[in-house]
Amino acid sequence: MYIFQVVALLIALLYYGNAQTSTVAVNHTILGSELSADGLKQLAAIVAPQSPVFHPSRGSYFSLNLLSAFPEDLEVSDYCVELLAIFGQRYSTYVNCLVSAARPVKVCQNCYGSYDNLMDIYTNISSDQMGPGNVSCRDSLLRSDRLMLVFLLYNNLEDIWTGSECNSCVSLGLHSLTNDTLYFMATLNQSLRCFEKFQQGNHSALCKECKATYRGLNELYSRMEKNRTLCIDIEDSMNMTRRLWSKNFNCSFPRAENVPVIAVSSFMLFLPIIFYLSSFLHSEQKKRKLIHPKRAKSNTSLVNIQDRLS
Amino acid sequence: MHPSLLQDSVRGCPKEIPHNEKLLSLKYESLDYDNSENQLFLEEERRMSFLGFKCLEISRWVICGLIGFLTGLIACCIDIAVENLAGVKYYVVKQNIEKFTEVGGLSISLILWAVLNSAFVMLGAVIVAFFEPGAAGSGIPQIKCYLNGVKIPRVVRLKTLVVKVCGVICSVAGGLAVGKEGPMIHSGAVVAAGVSQGRSTSLKKDFKIFEYFRRDTEKRDFVSAGAAAGVSAAFGAPVGGVLFSLEEGASFWNQMLTWRIFFASMISTFTLNFFLSIYNNKPGDLSSPGLINFGRFESDVSVCLLLSSPKPCGLLGALFNILNYWLTIFRIRYVHRPCLQVMEAMLVAAVTATVSFAMIYFSNDCQPLGPDQSEDYPLQLFCADGEYNSMATAFFNTPERSVRSLFHNPPGRLFYNPLTLSLFTLTYFFLACWTYGLTVSAGVFIPSLLIGAHRTLARLVSIMFVCRSLSQVWAVPGKYAFNGSCRGIVRMTLSLTVIMVEATGNVTYGLPIMLVLLTAKIVGDYFVEGLYDIHIKLQSVPFLHLEAPATSHWLTAREVMGAPVTCFNRIEKVGTIVDVLSNTSTNHNLGKICGLILRSQLIVLLKHKVRELARSRLTQRKLQLKDFRDAYPRFPPIQSIHVSQDERECMMDLTEFMNPTPYTVPQETSLPRVFKLFRALGLRHLVVVDSENRVVGLVTRKDLARYHLGKHGLEEMQLAQT
Repeated sequence: MYIFQVVALLIALLYYGNAQTSTVAVNHTILGSELSADGLKQLAAIVAPQSPVFHPSRGSYFSLNLLSAFPEDLEVSDYCVELLAIFGQRYSTYVNCLVSAARPVKVCQNCYGSYDNLMDIYTNISSDQMGPGNVSCRDSLLRSDRLMLVFLLYNNLEDIWTGSECNSCVSLGLHSLTNDTLYFMATLNQSLRCFEKFQQGNHSALCKECKATYRGLNELYSRMEKNRTLCIDIEDSMNMTRRLWSKNFNCSFPRAENVPVIAVSSFMLFLPIIFYLSSFLHSEQKKRKLIHPKRAKSNTSLVNIQDRLS
Repeated sequence: MHPSLLQDSVRGCPKEIPHNEKLLSLKYESLDYDNSENQLFLEEERRMSFLGFKCLEISRWVICGLIGFLTGLIACCIDIAVENLAGVKYYVVKQNIEKFTEVGGLSISLILWAVLNSAFVMLGAVIVAFFEPGAAGSGIPQIKCYLNGVKIPRVVRLKTLVVKVCGVICSVAGGLAVGKEGPMIHSGAVVAAGVSQGRSTSLKKDFKIFEYFRRDTEKRDFVSAGAAAGVSAAFGAPVGGVLFSLEEGASFWNQMLTWRIFFASMISTFTLNFFLSIYNNKPGDLSSPGLINFGRFESDVSVCLLLSSPKPCGLLGALFNILNYWLTIFRIRYVHRPCLQVMEAMLVAAVTATVSFAMIYFSNDCQPLGPDQSEDYPLQLFCADGEYNSMATAFFNTPERSVRSLFHNPPGRLFYNPLTLSLFTLTYFFLACWTYGLTVSAGVFIPSLLIGAHRTLARLVSIMFVCRSLSQVWAVPGKYAFNGSCRGIVRMTLSLTVIMVEATGNVTYGLPIMLVLLTAKIVGDYFVEGLYDIHIKLQSVPFLHLEAPATSHWLTAREVMGAPVTCFNRIEKVGTIVDVLSNTSTNHNLGKICGLILRSQLIVLLKHKVRELARSRLTQRKLQLKDFRDAYPRFPPIQSIHVSQDERECMMDLTEFMNPTPYTVPQETSLPRVFKLFRALGLRHLVVVDSENRVVGLVTRKDLARYHLGKHGLEEMQLAQT
């Protein structure tokens, strides 16, 4: 459907050009942004018989890289182009920041500033207020084609931001980290320093000495978990610390009381055996009184009927 | 039934034998689905206007709606109560375990858990054992019998309902290996029986409505609607509910009924859904149509894998049934005193806790928590920080949640490793087998889902697939798990297939599920009957199966019937009637060939006549059908009616009250023929006449039910007093 519209537009343009110049060549033809190579071939097939201007030999004019200007009214205004450029810059800044903060995850604490900038410019683009020259960039930049690239790009980053739940770590205006986060970082650093101090030598000393700070950190974390003030940075750093504590330093609780557990369990398992044995031995067996039905024939012996037959 | 103890004492001491499956209990009477078309009935019908019939039809719909609504509400209550009670229990135990993991003394947590479990179960078992033994078990066998036409004493009383609901809450919260689905079906049936009668005999409250429905035929229709509503609330499967009723009560199915039953089912699942969504603070969300919620399954099916191994499942189901059979016999013979039963239930609860704890304690399988499992009760124990014991996810949880977590963990993260899974399955198999048949009200459906030998197998297979990373697309363990879930135990194929399809909300699995069920049933049937059938047999219920036993054509009515029959004259002396009624406990007495009159009718007659006579002989009010209905369903025993010497001499005319056109068969009719009549018409008595139309005998349900096909051909069951 869409292709046809484009085709119609192009045909109209071609005729327009023909009428205007009456020359043999149309040296510039504008390609719709969606026009694919397939579309072009189709177009050629339709247009060729009618139009003298269209020759296969001149197919080189229709290069996909060719960028020429639309008429005035279809052009994107300078203001919008400028906005777009700023958007591009900030976008790449943020992405660079994200990539460099991917492991260990620090996307919230390192990149909230650039995200703030990006958000600003996008808000600017998407606002419906008219800029200078009475143009709204929202329509021309965001919604004039199927792909909606700017929107798509921004949306992806927004998804990343939401997925990492950075909002719970960064204060409302995106100007600084929240106090909770800063406090957590401080506590975390304390624990890590402690780990560093005792890392050499026996780990059991470490387990003993750093237990208090580590437990404090753990409690803080679970409190924050309850309040839902966790972002991916905190989660990740906590995970790493926990792994350090449990796997590297081996400070988890040992399984130390096998004997009492086994003893109690076997006692419990022993109870039903006693119960069933005693009820088997002491409880009197329930007997059923048989009743002889009234029958026409005296088949009182309730033996197998088949036996009777045979 | 026919006989009296008098005869026995004449013949000598009655023989006593231990309980076994080849007995028919005298306790159970038959329901009367055949309308007695006596003169009173005809008169009433004549008086009733066209509008009256329309009103009846409308009130049937209203009743069905009410049944659905109330059943849904009850399901909702059960769900909420179980969630909260279990939540409290697990919270307390979890706190305790966390405390003692650090300082040592975990055996105390073990004892705490066992004690908590036992306490809940004790409560549940006490109310069942001491107040209402009829509420024990899943209730599905009882409802099956009721729909088959057997009157199980006290099965549809209000008291039973209350005990059942409380009992199931206690036993699920008590951590037994049980589900809450079976009890839902029973509850629905009780609600139906209660609502349709417009009164409660237990509460001594008569609303004076729906009096027309006070007889067995109408009541049965509503009970089947109630059972359907129960199924639908339990599984969120309205169509499955209708089919369940159809499958179980199909012998007397009425096409007109189907639509009403469907209505009741729909209402019930909607009510549950609606109220649960309000409870979960998401009004209008409507995401939990049933008590059990499997969630969504993604649909890509590789059928070859789905069909991997239903055979082991059938085998395992058969093993389950055989074990349970022996256990039940032992229970009936030796553990019959209520206090023993309560003790047994408590022991099972304690052992369940112990085994679970030991499993969790000695498990080395630690897994990080998934993103959506925050609401469960994760136990860390000796796992690294941030990881949790995966055995605890299976055991330290209500069975329903275990099911959900088993079916729904993402394929990438292996939440359960094969060893954990096999151990869990093995323990759960024995626990569930041990638990079913206890004197607590509880269902067997969820355990059978959880057991799944088959499930383990399928799951192991699928996990292996992941391990070898043959194909990531195939690696959706939950699906195979689901299809593998072991349903060899129960064996109701049609309705179960539909229930499963509906509960998963996925029609794509219809065929695989069906094939799996079919294979499991065939394999299982080869070894042993379904669990419910076993329990029906062990209860000595005169259950009429679909068809008469094969090779029974040579048996004729003459050999099957009970004889001689007590006969009255059309106009009989009161004294004679009272004597006859007092001497036997038979239920039917026969006016020669002119008609059939029931014991219950006679008793009502006597009661009223006696009262009338005492007042004045002149102003005799005419007895109406209403008087019989008021007495339904609990007719007084003959002993409660006192007849003076004077009254004994009076004459009583039975013409008006007897059924003038009872079904009769000649003596030479074969057993399968008689059987078909009984099954299709829902008869209670069938008169056997000779060539001159004289009564020679009477066939009742027990006369037919006693024949069954055993190892050595046709065998006869004995009547016994239980």
